Amino acid sequence: MRRENPWRDAVALMALACVAAAVSNAVAGPERKLRWIGSYSASAPSSAATPGPGPARPAAAVTPAAPEGAGKAFAPHPNTAWVEISGDDVAALHKSGNALFLDARRTSLYRLGHIPGARPFSVWEADIDDRVKGLFAEGRDQSAPVVVYCTGGDCEDSHMVGQKLYFVGFDNVLVYRDGFPDWEKRGLPVDKGDAP
Amino acid sequence: MSGRMLSPWLTARVQFVLAAIFVVAGFGKIVDPPGFAHEIHNYKLLPGVAVNALAVALPWVEVVAGVALFSGIARRSSARIMGVLLVVFVIALTINLVRKHPVDCGCFGGPKIPKTDVQRLGDMKFVIARDLGMLLLVAQVLAATRREERDRR
Repeated sequence: MRRENPWRDAVALMALACVAAAVSNAVAGPERKLRWIGSYSASAPSSAATPGPGPARPAAAVTPAAPEGAGKAFAPHPNTAWVEISGDDVAALHKSGNALFLDARRTSLYRLGHIPGARPFSVWEADIDDRVKGLFAEGRDQSAPVVVYCTGGDCEDSHMVGQKLYFVGFDNVLVYRDGFPDWEKRGLPVDKGDAP
Repeated sequence: MSGRMLSPWLTARVQFVLAAIFVVAGFGKIVDPPGFAHEIHNYKLLPGVAVNALAVALPWVEVVAGVALFSGIARRSSARIMGVLLVVFVIALTINLVRKHPVDCGCFGGPKIPKTDVQRLGDMKFVIARDLGMLLLVAQVLAATRREERDRR
């Protein structure tokens, strides 16, 4: 058996792992691929279920929940990235048809069931920035309500998508506080498959 | 360590167990890098820009170290890499446990069933204990291989 040179061998093993990782990522499909440089907000809001102080929110994201009430108008909020809204408000917005719905969960979950009309916008998949740019390029009214949801609870994916939309100019992003589980609990319609 | 603890018979089995755990854990993450990136982000220890690179590379480091240890190509180096990884995992989990921030360990890929915060905090203690146990296995391999090298001189 040859004599080991621990440092040289460790560096060689790490280099081999990095090459394998690069090849694996290069050949991965869109749902498995990652950009090497992440673009996540490192200070997304702390979980509501987590006691004690969480990481500080960026100044733009510090916002109280919107007031409750059915049939209200959702005014743009240019000084805050997103506002959390309740399931009642989300249901009313969906019924009115005046809001764009984005599903921040993984695409595999989106396929299993999503809010009718919602588009897949998983913040963890490599094409998220392209999707945000695409939405911007559609020339939509950036002050019209955009509802983003994930799984509620301590899920921060919808807040992170909201932050990305805010950075390209959308100033009326509404985060569905309790997310898709609440939608299902209410017995509201659910669509399956790849189509919104 | 005593002679019996460093016997080739025991060392071979410890190597196999460590290698198997690392290879299985690595492949569990390789099948879903975005899911692993999500888990790393939840630890809230790294800047957002570093999350993806770690999520892509770390599982392969585990697999390569596991295969190297199993095949005996670079046993001491792979055991050292495993030791460093385990220490990092223990520190990351302990920091979050101390600040009562529940995380899914993500050790073998994403969680299959949703857990409550209390369950997560309980699991974190178990995973820290498991990682400390694996560090003992790494120490056994390093001590046994060092003695083998000394005996060969």
